[in-house]
Parts: sequence; C-alpha cells; structure tokens
Amino acid sequence: MADRYLDKDGLAKLISSVIGKGGRFIAPATVARQTVFKEVITADEVATGYILARNSFKEFLFPQTEVVADFSIRKDGVELRARDVKAVDTVVFGGRPCEAASVASLRSVFTWDFVDEFYTKREDKTVVISVACTNGDDACFCTTVGLSPESVAGSDIMLYETTKGGWLVHSVTDKGKAFVAAHEVVFGAQSADTDAVTLYNPAPIEGIDLARIGGRLKDRGHYEDPIWAELTRKCIGCGACTYVCPTCHCFDIIDEGTAFEGERRKNWDACQIDMFTLHASGHNPRDVQWKRWRNRFMCKFNFYPEKFKSTGCVGCGRCIRVCPVRLDITEAMEALSK
Amino acid sequence: MENALRQKAKELLESGDVKVVIGYGWNRAKTRTTPVFITRPADVDKLVWNPLCVNNLSIYLTRKFKDILALGKPAIVAKGCDIRNIVVLITEAQIKREDAVIIGMTCEGVVYRQELWKGGLKPEMMPTKCHNCDVRNPHVSDFTIGERSTFTPPETPTGMVFDKIKAIDAMDASERWNFWVGEFSRCIKCYACRQVCSLCYCERCITEKNMPQWIETSAHPRGNLSWNLTRAMHLVGRCTFCGECERACPVNIPLNLVNQKMIQVVDSAFEFKSGYDEKTHPPMIVFKPDDKDDFIK
Repeated sequence: MADRYLDKDGLAKLISSVIGKGGRFIAPATVARQTVFKEVITADEVATGYILARNSFKEFLFPQTEVVADFSIRKDGVELRARDVKAVDTVVFGGRPCEAASVASLRSVFTWDFVDEFYTKREDKTVVISVACTNGDDACFCTTVGLSPESVAGSDIMLYETTKGGWLVHSVTDKGKAFVAAHEVVFGAQSADTDAVTLYNPAPIEGIDLARIGGRLKDRGHYEDPIWAELTRKCIGCGACTYVCPTCHCFDIIDEGTAFEGERRKNWDACQIDMFTLHASGHNPRDVQWKRWRNRFMCKFNFYPEKFKSTGCVGCGRCIRVCPVRLDITEAMEALSK
Repeated sequence: MENALRQKAKELLESGDVKVVIGYGWNRAKTRTTPVFITRPADVDKLVWNPLCVNNLSIYLTRKFKDILALGKPAIVAKGCDIRNIVVLITEAQIKREDAVIIGMTCEGVVYRQELWKGGLKPEMMPTKCHNCDVRNPHVSDFTIGERSTFTPPETPTGMVFDKIKAIDAMDASERWNFWVGEFSRCIKCYACRQVCSLCYCERCITEKNMPQWIETSAHPRGNLSWNLTRAMHLVGRCTFCGECERACPVNIPLNLVNQKMIQVVDSAFEFKSGYDEKTHPPMIVFKPDDKDDFIK
C-alpha cells in the first residue's frame, strides 16, 4: 500500500522540479468553464473536486495533429524528409484509474504490426500518476468493465486523497518507484495525515455481461441484426465520443502545403464520421450510421479483447457525457448482454 | 402536458397518419432526456416532456437521416425554437410543410446547466435564447400542446450572449482577432456543431471536399479558424440561434456569439429574422429588383 506522502506544497515542488528539468507536467485544470488535461506550470492551476477531465490525456501521447514528414516534389522526383519525434519527459497527474488502463490498449495498437515511434517514444517518457476516485456521476461505469476506482493498471503511481487535502502515495511500477526516488525531497515519509477519503465505488450496472457481449459479437450473425439500427437511430455521426475516448486511436494521414512543397500530418480521425470508410470508387462499406456505430462497439468489445487481450472500453463514461443526443453505450451493452 | 402529448402521439400512430413520432425520452438514470423514435402506439409512454428537453429534433427531418425518412411520415415534438428550424428547412426546399406533423409544445424555457436541475426551472439555468423567446407559443404547428404562455420577451434583448457581443464589438480588431483565435484554438474538429445542426444538411460538407482540400482538416489554428469561420458564413441569414452547436461543443467554443452577431448583422441589413414565416425566403437566396444596393442591379 501507500509508502509515501504528498501534500500541496510537495505538488508545487514536484511541478517546478519536472519543469526545471525540461519536462512537462500535465494535470486537470479549468479551461473555458470545464476541467481539462493541460500543461500546467503551477500547483494552483491544478483542479480539485473534479470527477474526471472532459478530455482524456491521450492527446499528450498521441497529439491531435502532428507533422510526421516534410515533402518536396521536384522534376527529378519526390524528396521525403522524416521528422524526429520530440518526446520530452512528461508527468500526467490527476488522471483516474479508468483512463490509466487505456495506456496499455493504446500501446498494443501502436506496436501491433508496426512500431509507431510517434506514440511509443512519448509513452516511454511518461509517468502516469493517477488519483483514486472519491467522486463520480451517473455516466461512470468502470466497475461494469472489470476496473475499479483504485485499479492500478496503467498507473505508475497511485494516489489516495486524504481528508486533509494531501495524498497517500503508492508506487506501482518500477518507473513509478524510480520517479519517487528521483524526487525524494518532494515525497515525504508517511505522515500523521493517513485518513484516506472514502472511495466512490459505483455498483456494476445490472444486466451487463462482458463475456456474453464478447460471445455474441464473435458470432458474425449479429452483423445485420436490426438491434443496431434501433439502438443508434439517434446518433448524429459526429466524432465527439471518439475524440474524448481514452482508447480510440484512429488517425488519418493528410498532406498540407502547395503542390510542390508541404508537410505530411497525422491527424485524429473518427470512425463515426461518414467519410471514414469511403472508398475512392465511391463505395462505402459502412454506408449508414448504425454500421459505423456497430464498428465502434465491435472495436471496444470484440477487436481489442480478441486481438490484443486488452480492454477496449475502460468505463470512464466520457462518450456518454459529451454525446449531443445522450447516446449511452451502456444501454447497448445491456441490450447485447441478452 | 406529458399525458396530452402521449395521447396525441397514440392517436396519430393508431390512425396511421404518421409512422413514427420523433420525441424525447429519458436516459437510464432519468437525469437527461434523449431523442426517441416511437413507431408503435404501445410505446407512447416512453415520450416525456419537461425542461430538460433541450435537443432540437428537427435534424431528424433532414436528408442526412435516410433510415428515419424510410420509416415513413413523421410527427415531431417541437418547441417554438425548434419549429423555427423546421420553417427554415421549408423555405430552403428541404422539406414540404405537409411532410411532417408538427406537435408544437408550449414552453417556459429549457435547462442548459443540467447539473443545477433539481426539478424546478430557474432563470439562471436557462440559456440566453429562452430569456428572449418570442415563440414560447408555437407559431407553426398542426397541434399545440400545453397552456398558452403569457411571457413577453424584453424590448431590448438581454442575457450573457448579448452582453458578450457588446464587449467584443468594443474591442479593436487585433483584440477581437486574438479573442477568436484563442477560442477556436480549442476546436478538436469533431464536427459535433455541424452534425447537430439541422441547417447543416449538406450531404457533403465543404470540409469534406478534398480535391482540392478547401479547408484544412488539421486541428491547428489555421484549420480551426477556417472551419469555424466558413461554417459561420454558411449560416448567415439562416441560423435561428437555437444554440445546439454551442451545446454540443465538447470544448465550449462560444458559437452562440458568432451566430447571434450574424443574426444582428442580417437584421440590420435586410430586416429579416429566419424561421418565422415559411413563405418568406431567406435574404441570401433571393433576388429582388428593388434591392437597396446598386452593385447587384
């Protein structure tokens, strides 16, 4: 269990120390009336009392848009110049156990048939310091997908809030232990302040059975089941759910610039947008919204578990919270558990 | 009101006048409403009506939703503000008046700050549009449900959006530029603003036209600015200030400011407000020989 202690002064020192060494410190902070992960420079910016940030911290490992190469087209051919990944030491502080569990899922997809250094180099340099949940809302469902408000998967260090506003520190991985050791002066020894705040432990949603969902999805007979259209008729086909999702990872490669000179970018893309699978021929294998939505659900509950033995959905509930039409993935999980 | 709505829906479905009723239902926890599509008279009890019914369901009448059109003639549960969008769809020849049965709901305002909702509607929960609403009694409908509202909107529009527009108008050009570049910099290009908008009914949006790529799809400041400004321009003289784009925005870009400002510009130039009369065409799609500007003659 907890081996060290951190208080708010300690957090301030930690932030200066990380930044002083050329690193970046990512934490939930208030931007435009909501809590989001962003680069902070002081402890005062770090939000308190939030349930979880609106965005996931994946954008610091897998940026929304980044240049991967530059190109020039000349008479004698095309010149392509690769860009190096600029990975700096990164601390992600204040994420929740649900989203931390997504790091392994992202890694599995970015190292599957090709090692995507734009992801791996950043993740290698990232220390994930999660805070166990003491609060939640009706969109939270981690316990339904086998996680908990204090599950350690993906976290290097787990913190427990104390009643006096500090944190009990539990180093999980070797990376986490090394980080604590490197900041010895910041992390105090166990203090008298040992009363951890009671954790928020949502009851698993009744009627949802992941094994049954997996079994049902494995049988491709479900593919044309009218249930998909019924469940997702209201879906408007925006990308909000995928962009806030900590495990969604799809990207598009595009060129920007003139016809002769420019840069090649890797941009987030969303399987919910109708052009995502549009072929150059004009054929679109996912020509209607329910097929796109079925794909996203399949990705979470069939492709990830089958292919990578990892979880595709961590139960953070972000997709439910941001959905303009309040399409609730747990309602689909329930329907497909039958 | 809820019972009267369910009764009307049942009648319409039973008589075969409509094949689907597009309305609001509860989410699982009954904390939010969500669009529902009722096709069987036995299911009408799923329909709900309360101040959490924020969505503008008129998107489901557009050709983006082919599978809903395929269900057959719809009836739509609509507030006055939603009806304004239906009116624009009619004036722009997207639908005919007789294509949908409009069940107009009288309304005393909706709740945007839903975390504050404890069962009573308070002014601070309501968006600017509700404080200035002149269509609390539906202006175009086949049936109207609910008691007549006696609310009279203030002579001069009030509320946060109008105050902020004044503050932005008072800025000099570079301050204004910096303000908007800052706001748009948060854009993540999820296109929720476009998808939730019933007036963004194009099946192929300009940002999807990639030969050449008119609008850069990257979520960098240049791409974000060109996307948001282009969408704004495409809504000039059309937007009804229903506020769905800002409500849908996951990163809280104040799109209502952009849209209301355009409404003011159009009103002062053409004395036109969209969504009131299904027989008047919007200024950007008509030509009049008596146009007050010479360059067009």
